[in-house]
Amino acid sequence: MSAVRNISTAVLSGRTTARRVTEHTEHLLRRADQRGLNAALDWSPEYLSREATRITRDAVRGSRDAMPLAGVPVAVKDNLATLDLPTTCASRILDGYISPFEATAVTRLRAAGAFVACKANMDEFAMGSSTEWSAFGRVQHPDFPDRVPGGSSGGSAALVAAGVTPVALGSETGGSVRQPASFCGVVGVKPTYGRVSRYGLVAFGSSLDCISVFGEKVDDAARLLSIISGHDPLDATSADLPPLALPAPRTDLKGITLGLPDEYFPADLHPGVKAALDQAIAQAKSLGATIKRVSLPHARYSVPTYYIVNPAEAAANLARFDGVRYGKRDGGSQVDLRGLYRATRGTGFGPEVRRRILIGTYVLSAGYADQYYHQAMKMRTLITRDFTDAFGGGVDLLLTPTTPTPAFKAGDKTDDPVAMYLADIFVAGASLAGLPALSLPVGRSEGLPIGMQLIAPAFAEAKMLAAAAAFEGVLDPRREVR
Amino acid sequence: MTIGKDDVLHVAKLAELKVADHEVGPLVHQLNGIVDFVAQLASADIPEGTPEFTVGPAQVTLRADVVAPVPLNRSPERMAPDWQDGFYVVPRLSHQEGES
Repeated sequence: MSAVRNISTAVLSGRTTARRVTEHTEHLLRRADQRGLNAALDWSPEYLSREATRITRDAVRGSRDAMPLAGVPVAVKDNLATLDLPTTCASRILDGYISPFEATAVTRLRAAGAFVACKANMDEFAMGSSTEWSAFGRVQHPDFPDRVPGGSSGGSAALVAAGVTPVALGSETGGSVRQPASFCGVVGVKPTYGRVSRYGLVAFGSSLDCISVFGEKVDDAARLLSIISGHDPLDATSADLPPLALPAPRTDLKGITLGLPDEYFPADLHPGVKAALDQAIAQAKSLGATIKRVSLPHARYSVPTYYIVNPAEAAANLARFDGVRYGKRDGGSQVDLRGLYRATRGTGFGPEVRRRILIGTYVLSAGYADQYYHQAMKMRTLITRDFTDAFGGGVDLLLTPTTPTPAFKAGDKTDDPVAMYLADIFVAGASLAGLPALSLPVGRSEGLPIGMQLIAPAFAEAKMLAAAAAFEGVLDPRREVR
Repeated sequence: MTIGKDDVLHVAKLAELKVADHEVGPLVHQLNGIVDFVAQLASADIPEGTPEFTVGPAQVTLRADVVAPVPLNRSPERMAPDWQDGFYVVPRLSHQEGES
């Protein structure tokens, strides 16, 4: 039984209580802090106690069906608005900021009986692939302290991998859940753009942003996703669809055609990643899947396209942080409003955020927008068509590595932004096309977790999750592959 | 080199971002690295007439066009760095460069 189902069943049947769960979560958070994981930012015993009282009260009043997540602790990435804990986006510019409203995803989780265990550390404003760009210190990899957990949702991934919470919310703009899920050896699921309301997710790249989920197992992640999905009138881009129905469990892949894109299996793929994927593909065949090689000819342009579109949208979205209405204000001695803006933003934002704002402003500025931004938006159309063609050619799901290497060492890429960006090479494409995708742990290489990615057509999450569960039944994620 | 010191200072001004003198050199280097990397798109074969990507559902579902109270749990006053008599307090806006 999955952890989420186990906890909710135990709480609703009276085998345990919400208070026992919150007290145990407090113990685990304290232990994670003591070992220096640095994955949790804000949490408080008083808040956890209040949540235990709320869940206990609601469980008495409500029906079992109304609380499918009764007593389930959820780590929530710090770019999701919460009413009782600060929402800082791991940035000095929002240090101590408490939102006046709550993200729809968080509201739905709490209504289903879950509670926010803590706010999870992240790369500042979700810009990064290693969670080294947090203003509040880097997050350690849960198994290898000198390595990174991936990013930008590295805190959420590390908390699930360390067993502090069974599930977590993260956010994806270009792989920020799948990549850390792969590095930490947990399940990470990005839904179709529009499947989950973005209301209360601090905007970064509005055409790309998706609230996404982590779980110890596929079923954990699926249960979380089913609760937070569905139309929300507070987000005009949320699809007019009911919540995602939990996929029917399956133990084989009969009738499923898996496409292997040539471009995602380069000759220089890390040998451990290659060995793990070879093993997964062999298992897919034994489960009855048909394997088909396909081509996504514009895949090599995914990362450069992403790193034009993303900074352009970031520069526009982050214009709102100016030290006037909320957040940190610097340059109080300035006699001029523009001086106030520049001083506040100059000291409030960290190095990667500043770089992206500058690049985004550059590619949108007069004389350069056609050369960079509009060219990238046309390429985004071609990248999306590649996926449409592959799925139209009889492929149900695409199977790829999630990352080109296992978790790298802290400090390895912080001086080279482009090297850091290339960690996203296999995850950027699905984000640009708005498609659902997930990372499933499929083995280890020299102890380091390796993730396999499945990419599905738009709104085909159920098929993707069911296939992932079938893989999960036959692949041991802790097994050394070479 | 695509981006020079003046370009960095120009976009920093457009972005309302203060950049200290000692940061300009490293930023010139880093931004050139990024721009050189993304510039590979210029050589990509993009067929004439390729439309730019649009995101999201084909039809956006709009709420009823009615004025409703903003559902804020905390008042703007409690979040503002400086607030007086119902207004945000900021320094004056002086003339911009080039204006009379």
